[in-house]
Amino acid sequence: MTGNVPVTYQEVFRTERGVVYQCDVSNRLILEFWDTHTQFSARDFAQFRRMVETVDIRQMALSTDAADDVEILALPRSERCYVLTLCEIVHLRELLNGAKLMLELNAMLRECGCSLTE
Amino acid sequence: MNFSPDTVNSMKDLARLRTSVKESVELALNQQIQMEMVSSSKYLAMAGWCDRNGFDHSAGFFYKQSEEERKHAMKFFHYLCDQGATAYSPEIPAIGQEFDSLRSVFEGALEQEISVTDSINRIISICRRENDYATEELLKWYVREQMEEEYIARRCLELIDQIPADQVYYLDKKLASVTYDGNVFE
Repeated sequence: MTGNVPVTYQEVFRTERGVVYQCDVSNRLILEFWDTHTQFSARDFAQFRRMVETVDIRQMALSTDAADDVEILALPRSERCYVLTLCEIVHLRELLNGAKLMLELNAMLRECGCSLTE
Repeated sequence: MNFSPDTVNSMKDLARLRTSVKESVELALNQQIQMEMVSSSKYLAMAGWCDRNGFDHSAGFFYKQSEEERKHAMKFFHYLCDQGATAYSPEIPAIGQEFDSLRSVFEGALEQEISVTDSINRIISICRRENDYATEELLKWYVREQMEEEYIARRCLELIDQIPADQVYYLDKKLASVTYDGNVFE
């Protein structure tokens, strides 16, 4: 996907591990992380970000239980799920929080009549 | 990235199109829904304790309070839904069912009302930070309500101090009849 991004996609935030786009035609946020590609509504994106934010990574780091090696996160309104290691959660948090910040910045700029463009 | 005043509206604000309630306010209101439901549950436990210990009038008072707290929670719940935000049905933790005395029941009630008032005030400060005037307007109703609730709880504790301990039936009856008629905002 990264090599062939639809013209309607606007990049919101990018890290080495992934990227978040916004599509104003479908009103969707698109998360590309590792080899996955997931589309969210604004509501589901916020909900998913909160799910990632509330994972107890301290418990994952300290526990010797095999069940704590990965965290399974069910995507809102989808049958798919993410199975993430501690490192992947840290990377996903960085990406989602960066995207959240840029979306908030876009909202603030719109409120004062400016906009965020590349 | 650069800021361009000339290309206004180049990227939609999807969150704003969905709802007028900012995420921080939505989170605070959902926490408040939980707090109101916990209050309702605590008052129900108090009503049950009063009922089984012969304080029928106080039991009636707390049954009513329990209903009221639930209505407060539902008011927030409907508000969030109406504004396009997400309201969550809250988890209610285990509630203590036993109390040492009638006084400790009313002390618990006052403490609960004070924490609700503090929480409402905290949400108002979040609304002001986010320029959310609609939610602040809604919260003004709760400010007035909390004045009333705190007054009633305090007055009940005063009555427990003032009425001699051997007049239990009279005390129980008086406690259930306390109202706040002098709200300066009404």
